[in-house]
Amino acid sequence: MTPASAKIPVTVIGGFLGAGKTTFVNHLLATGTARTAVLVNDFGEVNVDMSLIASHDGDTMTLTNGCICCSIGTSFIDTMCRVLDAPVPYERIVIEASGVGDPWKIAEIALIEPALRLDQVIVIADGSRIVQLAGDARVGDTVRSQFDRCDIVLLNKIDLVDADGLAAARAAVQGLRPELRIVETARGAMPALAQLETGPSLSGFRVDSPSLDGTDHGAQFSSWCYRRDGAFDRAALADALADMPPQLLRLKGSCRLSGQDGRTIFQMVEKVWSVSPDTVDDIDHGSDIVLVGVGTADLPAAAMLDAILDRALVVEPVLSFTPYPAET
Amino acid sequence: MASGTVVFAARKIITMNPSRPFATHVAVREGRIVATGTAEELCVGDAQLDTGFADKVLMPGFVEGHSHIMEGLMWLMPYVGAFDRRSPEGRLVTGVGDIDAIVARLKEAEAQLPDDRAALYAWGFDPLHISGRMLSRHDLDRVSTKRPVIVVHASFHINNVNTHTLERAELLHATNISGVVSGPDGLASGELQGIPARMRLFRALGNNPQSGDITEADVNRYAASACVQGVTTITDLHNDLTDQTVEVYRSATTAPDFGVRLVPALASASHKPEQAIAKLDMVREHCNDKLHYGIVKLVVDGSIQGFTARLRWPGYHNGAANGLWYIAPEELPRLVDAYHRAGIQLHIHTNGDEATELALDAVEAAQTALPRPDHRHTLQHCQMADAALFRRMKNLGVCVNLFANHLYYWGDSHYALTMGPERAARLDATGTAQRIGVPFAIHSDAPVTPLAPLFTAWCAVNRVTSGGRELGRDTEALTVEQALAAITIGAAYTLKLDHLVGSIEAGKYADFVVLEEDPLTADPRRLKDIAIWGTVLGGKARKAPRA
Repeated sequence: MTPASAKIPVTVIGGFLGAGKTTFVNHLLATGTARTAVLVNDFGEVNVDMSLIASHDGDTMTLTNGCICCSIGTSFIDTMCRVLDAPVPYERIVIEASGVGDPWKIAEIALIEPALRLDQVIVIADGSRIVQLAGDARVGDTVRSQFDRCDIVLLNKIDLVDADGLAAARAAVQGLRPELRIVETARGAMPALAQLETGPSLSGFRVDSPSLDGTDHGAQFSSWCYRRDGAFDRAALADALADMPPQLLRLKGSCRLSGQDGRTIFQMVEKVWSVSPDTVDDIDHGSDIVLVGVGTADLPAAAMLDAILDRALVVEPVLSFTPYPAET
Repeated sequence: MASGTVVFAARKIITMNPSRPFATHVAVREGRIVATGTAEELCVGDAQLDTGFADKVLMPGFVEGHSHIMEGLMWLMPYVGAFDRRSPEGRLVTGVGDIDAIVARLKEAEAQLPDDRAALYAWGFDPLHISGRMLSRHDLDRVSTKRPVIVVHASFHINNVNTHTLERAELLHATNISGVVSGPDGLASGELQGIPARMRLFRALGNNPQSGDITEADVNRYAASACVQGVTTITDLHNDLTDQTVEVYRSATTAPDFGVRLVPALASASHKPEQAIAKLDMVREHCNDKLHYGIVKLVVDGSIQGFTARLRWPGYHNGAANGLWYIAPEELPRLVDAYHRAGIQLHIHTNGDEATELALDAVEAAQTALPRPDHRHTLQHCQMADAALFRRMKNLGVCVNLFANHLYYWGDSHYALTMGPERAARLDATGTAQRIGVPFAIHSDAPVTPLAPLFTAWCAVNRVTSGGRELGRDTEALTVEQALAAITIGAAYTLKLDHLVGSIEAGKYADFVVLEEDPLTADPRRLKDIAIWGTVLGGKARKAPRA
């Protein structure tokens, strides 16, 4: 069992063919610092400065900055297992999803695999084509569904569109999910992963998008912390989570479930949640239940969110900590 | 006749050669056919007469144009499908038609395993064949609570596992994730779908049974299944052709008694076109009379019964969302063009009619850019094509290999759920292909459905579902003669091997199926039940094993 703190964060990069996924991967590899493993569909397109390449064995390229790049090749599972079984664990894993695939279907790996945690799902959209692609008779449904569960959209190639085109591209993405955070990018003007971070430790920040027209498209976030002694009833928890407002984007932490020994690691992204046993008991968690939520700026008040989760407790909640109001 | 000539006498020889359709004798030398005819015509000189088949009926050995080497691997595990199948040893393995029967079959297999807590795998389950009932972890707990029990669905995309497995994989509590289906108690039901759940399963169990290297024993088991079913030329229609596989195929097919001609298709998904073309140039050096490299497989969409095939309007009959593209629509023309220019024959998987239309668009563009006579690009499955799409195939020189076994196995689901009455009636439209003149074959996609060309022919002739419903029988059914052509010369044509196999005529390989009955005079409703004695491959008789 892996303690939550040691779990490897996973970033999934989705987006339709030609959106710029490989350009972003090249950028991440060139600017990488941590021991990052990047899994890509097509090695041929990866274009890293030769001086950065320490070794290259056909399946795996090792860079001098500590990153590796692996070709998914014939088996995603085999490639992923190779990365997970590395003698020294990687500090971060980035997975490029297939251009016609649903990035969420890959992201679920980080919810299921105990050694991993899901950091974020980034979908890249080609700003010059997204309006046409999203409405295309043959691929529109595929393109649109890629945005269903992503955390952030990189609206790419904005240097190829004029102001009207950019507005139309933004509208096409926002039409799918109005609350979606959009960062405008172009070749040579791409953010680092840290700049896109939406982890629970961060509260209220903005990304300065490298937009050419200088407009500010940063997004506001708010967080909420829930602490209780006691335990949840599993069925009641499922009901309570279903009632959570859509502004709550993710909820993570540890809790106790009635009828089960030990703590349980809890993760929820959008409305999809998972629990897994946490066997690390040498860490003092304080309260039995500690969950941290991140939502959009209009996340309802903490008291209202508390009340929803309180319905899932099997004993009367003993207030051990005054929940603080949402920060922005 | 020159020395070394053997003349086989038979009750009847159905040659599939229209210029001499029937004979009683066939002369064979050096593994090839010298001539067909009568005793008077052929028993001359020092030709040696073989009367071993004097009471049997010979046909060209069957050609299975779409099956997979997986068929040779599956039989190491117990089979828990609803319909009867025959093993490579020739054993009739009866179907198990309800949950209790499945559990009983698994218990029997479990009892034979050593007490080592090793996993028990089984295959062939399809809930659509047992009234939609899913195996739950509780059902599989009746088999064992001490070792992992894993049932692989007929589709190969879903696994059902017992509670012990879920606990080991830490998935019992991981509900509300799309790939970990939850049960009525809020815990995982035991049904695992998709890549993430499969990866967790393999990691928890410490192995990935789907990435193991194939062995010569697997290939020989595949060849044994072929012999049992009268098949003398068989495909392996989607293979990454790793160095290891290429070596196993080379070694297996050059063994003197190897029992089938093998036609592997290189999987496009694992290679860029220029890599694939270079690899084919390399592996072609391994070609021998029982190993034929050169074709490439493209997979455009998913399956109809899995709701992953791409359909044109009006879409799925039950309103399900449209399926998945496995190759992006704008990518396909580029791939088709690259292989077309390199002179390679393509086998393009398209189940839904939107995928079929896209594939035809791509071939049309490639043909317009570079007209190539006799390319014979072949659509595989192509289950939903209408007459207009068949006319385009005809005009573009495209062949088709239709999935006739679907009529029986999933015809009821297609009628009720996926396509509705009108489109289900022209499911795998063999009659339309025949009328319009598109060269066609019919296939099993084994191990998805059983390897058994006579059964496949029976499906195309009778067009009846497992529930007893007839689907377009008056309009789309083949005659027995047409169906027999589809599993011999028709399939050989789609593989560009019709100059070597698929009919009994001078110069071709002496590959025969030896039948106990004449399929042309038997009741067409009994076509699938005609007993197969075995095969002759390159003039060498092999009696099918019977266990």
